[in-house]
Amino acid sequence: MKKFDIIIIGGGHNGLVAASYLSKKNKKVLVIEKNENVGGLAEYADNINCISPIITKELSINATNTNNTNHIISLEDHQNHTVLEDNNGKLSFIKTNADEHDQKNFLSIINNYKIFSKTLGSFMFKKPPRVKSGNKADILQLISMGWKVRKLGKKNMRELLRVIGLNIADDLEDNLSNDNLMGLLSHEAVLGTNLGPRSPGSILTLLYKQAINNNVFNLKNIEVGNYINLLEESCNKNSVEIIKSTEVKKILTQNNSVTGVQLNNGEIFESTCVISNTDPKTTYLNLLGAEILDTDFIRRTKNYRNKGNVAKLELVFENDININGVDNNMYGKFIYAPNIQYIEHAFNANKYNKYSENPCLEFYVNKNILSANVYYVPHLANSNHQENEIIKKCISILSKFIPDMKISKEKLITPNAIEAKYNVAGGHWHHGDLEIDQLLMMRPFYGSAQYSTPINGLYLCSAGTHPGGGLTGINGINAAKKVIGDLK
Amino acid sequence: MNSSEISYKKPLLETPFHKRTSENCYSNNWYRWAGYKVVNEYSSTELEYTAVRNTAGVFDITPMHKYEIKGEDAKQFINKLITKDISNIQSNQIAYGIWCNEDGMVIDDGTIFCFNENHFRIFCAERNLNWFSDTATGFKVTIEDISTSIAALAFQGPLSCKILNLLKVNNIENLKPFHFDNYNIENHNVTISRTGFSGDLGYEIWCDPSQAIDVWDSLFKFNRDYKVLAAGMSALEMVRIEAGFIQPNVDFMSAEQALRPNRMRNPYELGLGWLVNLEKKYFTGKQALIRHKENGIEKKLVGLDVEGDKPAVGSVLYDNSKKNKAKEIGIVTAAMWSPVLKSNIAIGFVNKEHYKLGSNVYAEIYHPEELDYRKIWAECKVVKRQFFNNPRRNAVPAFK
Repeated sequence: MKKFDIIIIGGGHNGLVAASYLSKKNKKVLVIEKNENVGGLAEYADNINCISPIITKELSINATNTNNTNHIISLEDHQNHTVLEDNNGKLSFIKTNADEHDQKNFLSIINNYKIFSKTLGSFMFKKPPRVKSGNKADILQLISMGWKVRKLGKKNMRELLRVIGLNIADDLEDNLSNDNLMGLLSHEAVLGTNLGPRSPGSILTLLYKQAINNNVFNLKNIEVGNYINLLEESCNKNSVEIIKSTEVKKILTQNNSVTGVQLNNGEIFESTCVISNTDPKTTYLNLLGAEILDTDFIRRTKNYRNKGNVAKLELVFENDININGVDNNMYGKFIYAPNIQYIEHAFNANKYNKYSENPCLEFYVNKNILSANVYYVPHLANSNHQENEIIKKCISILSKFIPDMKISKEKLITPNAIEAKYNVAGGHWHHGDLEIDQLLMMRPFYGSAQYSTPINGLYLCSAGTHPGGGLTGINGINAAKKVIGDLK
Repeated sequence: MNSSEISYKKPLLETPFHKRTSENCYSNNWYRWAGYKVVNEYSSTELEYTAVRNTAGVFDITPMHKYEIKGEDAKQFINKLITKDISNIQSNQIAYGIWCNEDGMVIDDGTIFCFNENHFRIFCAERNLNWFSDTATGFKVTIEDISTSIAALAFQGPLSCKILNLLKVNNIENLKPFHFDNYNIENHNVTISRTGFSGDLGYEIWCDPSQAIDVWDSLFKFNRDYKVLAAGMSALEMVRIEAGFIQPNVDFMSAEQALRPNRMRNPYELGLGWLVNLEKKYFTGKQALIRHKENGIEKKLVGLDVEGDKPAVGSVLYDNSKKNKAKEIGIVTAAMWSPVLKSNIAIGFVNKEHYKLGSNVYAEIYHPEELDYRKIWAECKVVKRQFFNNPRRNAVPAFK
């Protein structure tokens, strides 16, 4: 029976980050990954905007930008597309049907959101404080959070407090009149969440995502495969043991403390410290078992909202793809969410666990390959998706903008497929909705915050913990730091 | 919409005994219990109480919540739910248990009937389906609310066994306390358990609603000699205070219903520490209860022997015989003049300096007298909560 200082369940990017960090601190670390390759759900993202500075600092990993995407194209039915250019965070209009007043207001809204998201970001990357712990560090951090908000100045602070619970549609309609621009920003707010543009809190999710990605439009600069390879190398360098194609069946406990993990093949690894990189629901209900958790805690676990609703569509064309009304050199991130009402209607179906008749799309084009995020395609607990129907709908939308479509291959990855492949309950990108009651010290839920769990020696480091999804690796670093702190 | 379909305008449900209980309810004084109406007082609470203490009284307890637990993990489920260990429970045995939330605060208490390893039934005062269902996550067990499918009577008092004997209920005198079995009352199959709220010899009778009226009538069959009375909730309240039984949302707030966190109580504060087995491998609230036990308690629910004869209903408790120097140290949750004990008794919370048996505390009693209050500063002695505990209660064979 092998013994390790720390066992990490799941070789997703947060698991690798934690493993690398802990092994640097001279811990004997084992990572167990279900699939053939590490990286987990990260491969699904293809590209990310940047590697978070904290990872660069702690693990000395840095990747160079490979494919600079700096155009954002919001498609419109009458081919009056809006094209924006992002020049190191500075946005400018290249083409639009919006009048000057709208253009100015649009940029100023984004600027405002940027300030707010920076304020959020300044306390995002730390361990979230516990409100009632009485611990000095926690209290200081709470004070510093308050201070950072106050530092915005009277006008901005008031504006932040005004919009933080607001829905994005209200704020946009107050300031803009162009449908396409409103659709574009609403899209960024609701993609990957269980919200529509008129759902309260949709501005908060936008700010939150903006803070994670360091950019409102989350442009794709760095290949994820590259980043994951670097992480794996860093693990190997520090002699982390990684077992692939192996699934953990059970986390073993005794007297409310972790004793090890049991694999599907019956093999047991011993350790007094286990970090789970699977989502909270899977960790608690499947790996740990509800029988040894308090009823209130199970209630919160079950009530944790983690219904994924984005599917990924991959289309291979026979010829290179041309988009009507957009020059080749302006290709970048395409968005089809023409107006608020369209998105809201798409969202309506989601409430009843049905996929949208007219879905919204976000896609990238690479020569003859098109890869799109389609929403809303809700995770279905008790039935299967009719994938062909969904693909047909997407193609009919795309055909408005792509003349003479000849498709040679099509593939749809639904939230159900994500759930099955990556063991993420609900198939949610972020392992759970990023909403106000599931953020910061409330993520994933009361009793499990600060990466700890009710079981001694069991920790969480997945996107289900603070600061949530996105390939920041901060969850992994913070969890590893918490483990080191507790081991002392 | 028909007004009777609106939930708050819906008339209260009638129990299967309603025909009989309403005939006897001269005072038309009803009590609302879990959506049903049951009699609060038939004609005179004192008379009904006297029957329970001297012959036997019949209470309609049909509104009690009843949950059927079935499945191969039934026993493990119960062991996770309640704080005591029932690993060794036998068929036909009944366990009294409490269940707590994750903070070790008491939600409710109940009796748990064991039919066999895979089949239990829980009887309790509050609704608990939600709590039970969430607790059952991960266990192979089904939980069903069978509250409406069983009619129930509590038949309590020194002559209860005698009457059942006269009704030719075979071998009833040998039914041990906290056991149950199937019997036959005048050709009606019933389940009888030796349990109850009175602190005296008594039984609870469970039957199909269709037989309810016949079973009810049978119990009154020998009334020419033995004056059995139907008794209401007021009389039940009197006997339960004398017996020292506590009631959720009266003596303590159920943790599932309390809005203010500091109103919840742990088993040690309620004097129910004996129901907690911290050796048991796992149950909800174990970690919290280990802490509670270590930290000790701030207050405790105790029995009080109150000076004088005016019931200390709702009184605040103080620490000093001099009113102007006194500090508040607790509160009375239930109080009465006990006719059978000839003493003024109460149940209440006192703080940790005063919960030892024999401590003196003082109650400020506001006694209503013709549109005015007489304020009495009464000395109270902390005593065992079980004021009335007749040896008949546990004797086998039972008194007949």
